[in-house]
Amino acid sequence: MLYIHHTTCISPQPADLIGGGGAFAPATREDHASVGESALAAGEDRVSLAGPVDGVYKVVEPAYPGIPPGTLRRMSKAVRLGVGAAMPLIRQGRIDGILIGTGNGGMEESVKFLRQIVDYAEGMLAPGHFVQSIPNAIASQIGLSRHLRGYNSTYVHRGLGFEHALIDASMLISENAGSRYLVGGVDEVSGYHYRIEAADGWYKPSVQPGRTLYDYDSPGSIAGEGAALFLVGGEPADALAALRGIETFHSTDPRSVTTRLQAFLDQHLPAGLRPALLLSGENGDNRALPFYAAAESVLDPAAPLARYKHLCGEYPTASAFAVWLALQLDVTLPSHLVKKAGIINEMQYILLYNNHKLMQHSFILLERYR
Amino acid sequence: MAGRVFVTGMGVISAIGDSLAANRQALVQKKSGIGYSGPANSRYMGVIPFGGITLSDAQLRERTGVHDAGVSRTTLLAAHAFRQAIEDAELPATQLISADTALIGATTVGGMCLTDELYRDTNGGAQGSDYLASYDGASVQQYLQHRYGFSGLVTTINTACSSSANAIQYGARLIRNGMARRAIVGGVDSLAKFTINGFNALQILSPAACKPFDEHRQGLNLGEGAGFLVLEREADLAGKRAYAELTGYCNVNDAYHASSLSPDGEGPFLAMQGALRSAGLDTSAIGYINAHGTGTENNDASESQAMIRIFGTPPAFASTKSSTGHTLGASGAIEAVYSILSLLYQEAYPSVNFSTPMAETGLRPLTEYKPMRLQHVLSNSFGFGGNCTSLVFSVVPAGLATVI
Repeated sequence: MLYIHHTTCISPQPADLIGGGGAFAPATREDHASVGESALAAGEDRVSLAGPVDGVYKVVEPAYPGIPPGTLRRMSKAVRLGVGAAMPLIRQGRIDGILIGTGNGGMEESVKFLRQIVDYAEGMLAPGHFVQSIPNAIASQIGLSRHLRGYNSTYVHRGLGFEHALIDASMLISENAGSRYLVGGVDEVSGYHYRIEAADGWYKPSVQPGRTLYDYDSPGSIAGEGAALFLVGGEPADALAALRGIETFHSTDPRSVTTRLQAFLDQHLPAGLRPALLLSGENGDNRALPFYAAAESVLDPAAPLARYKHLCGEYPTASAFAVWLALQLDVTLPSHLVKKAGIINEMQYILLYNNHKLMQHSFILLERYR
Repeated sequence: MAGRVFVTGMGVISAIGDSLAANRQALVQKKSGIGYSGPANSRYMGVIPFGGITLSDAQLRERTGVHDAGVSRTTLLAAHAFRQAIEDAELPATQLISADTALIGATTVGGMCLTDELYRDTNGGAQGSDYLASYDGASVQQYLQHRYGFSGLVTTINTACSSSANAIQYGARLIRNGMARRAIVGGVDSLAKFTINGFNALQILSPAACKPFDEHRQGLNLGEGAGFLVLEREADLAGKRAYAELTGYCNVNDAYHASSLSPDGEGPFLAMQGALRSAGLDTSAIGYINAHGTGTENNDASESQAMIRIFGTPPAFASTKSSTGHTLGASGAIEAVYSILSLLYQEAYPSVNFSTPMAETGLRPLTEYKPMRLQHVLSNSFGFGGNCTSLVFSVVPAGLATVI
């Protein structure tokens, strides 16, 4: 069993979204402090949430304490986000490996290098963008920063990269008793890559101020970015949560979501229990609604539903943000998260369903301990 | 960890052939595929040597029956090797679509071979090309998933030049952890302006045919290709042919530098040591090493030091990249196929172009084809970012499965 012990997140939201700010402000929070009077626990939208700026959700980057400025300058944004979010977790003690999911990590550097190739007709180029273009730069730079020579891998399967990192971490934990891993999802929103995705119809052509993500009845979502990392291990003591189940698959048929989610819950949820909450990856793309409706149809009609992509935008590893968020929630949800209200007595089992590009699906079942 | 994992099918395409038989024949005959022809529309084509595959995209489409729009050369090469592997293992369509069948692929260049299309698509404004969803690495596996109807776990790994060795180990571990019953694993990369110019910028492309482990080596030759393997559980072997057992694997990070290995070969050393440990083998059990051996100053020095540290006197070793070029994300899978062919035919494949041992190590790779008794073969794959992975393949124990 994989247990989550610590987590960090760099997101488009200000740190007081989750209260207390933590040691790693802004927009990040180290570990799981008491939520206290935070916005997420308040049941009200007390803080103003950050919305899209120039049509995209951009992270508020922290000051990156602990990373030398010279090193920082050489890093691509995705690498910065990943290494920055990793730093507080690395301080928590031994780490036996690093597993990073990233859908577009390296894409921007790749395009920059490729455009130089064309613009300079394959002349003598500087290798900087090329070296940074490799998606494994995130995991390897984390390793390099603290000479972590253990297992190191990078999963680039679009909307499932984070999930496949998490699956690998759970296998490593079952293979190596007592081991601990850093696992997470990191993506950046960037100019060239944004244009490709926009041309392919994944973003709304115009983003209107004051309108929430879910109010559009149109195709496409709003681009976002972020890094959410987790320190995981096989020991339940002091854990925030356990990963009770995880499954990924590909399908264009919403009915497959219904049948597979039913079987998933039958397999992983203890008999007689039900999830306190479905945290859904709904992203304002009306083409994805049938998939989310299919997931909702499996749950009890009274089950509370919440959604989160108005906080982080849409990106391939947004489900990592969702796992981070799931670990912060109190039984009283802030109203901006609520899709359907319901009574939550105890925030024990939380089900996450995410759909990426109408084709990739993931279920994650967490059991919260505190 | 419960369960043993066997290779029941293989497919390969590289500069030395488009089938298992053609690749083996070239290796046996010490025929290199390094030359001055290839498909990439680069100004370096014809100027410096590459391990290009002479089949055009149109010919690959014909061979693979892939006629969909928006498919890159990288995906075509993968489709070719993938189909060989599943046909070789005689996997029926019902097993491919079964939720307990996983597909784990790897690539570094993905659709970045589509230079001109990508350039236009990133200018913005105009109508997008057919390739908008084809630039990333996942596009390769997405295509195979769609074409064959996979409903199990499908993913893509990118750890630079060790990518497909990690895909192989991920698939094996899914099986050992009971998360899949069988896995099709492998990797692909095509020659592309992107990587040609990237390695050129790093000044590690050899102006001549590469000479791995030679004192006078001048760098690597880029190649292209794909390799796929079918991995199955011991419990499913009845009545099947099994080529080899995957007995050991280890993934570590050198944690030394973003684009070069440590001089003492710490990462390569830890990878080989870990793979031997996971296989439960002493160093003396390894009869042959298919080395990473890119032909760069840095890699070959680092890998040599690591081999000396772990083996004292290393067993027979060679770099088949001297025949295929460095196929990057495909190399781990292609060289896994070669390692398995070595076990199967009890023969070791040579390095070409080697003449002078490195002064600091004196190591000599095998330079002639050699029939030899082999029980266990080690295959090394090391990449940028310090990602080092070693695999151990072993002869199938008598009675477990039919060996050809």
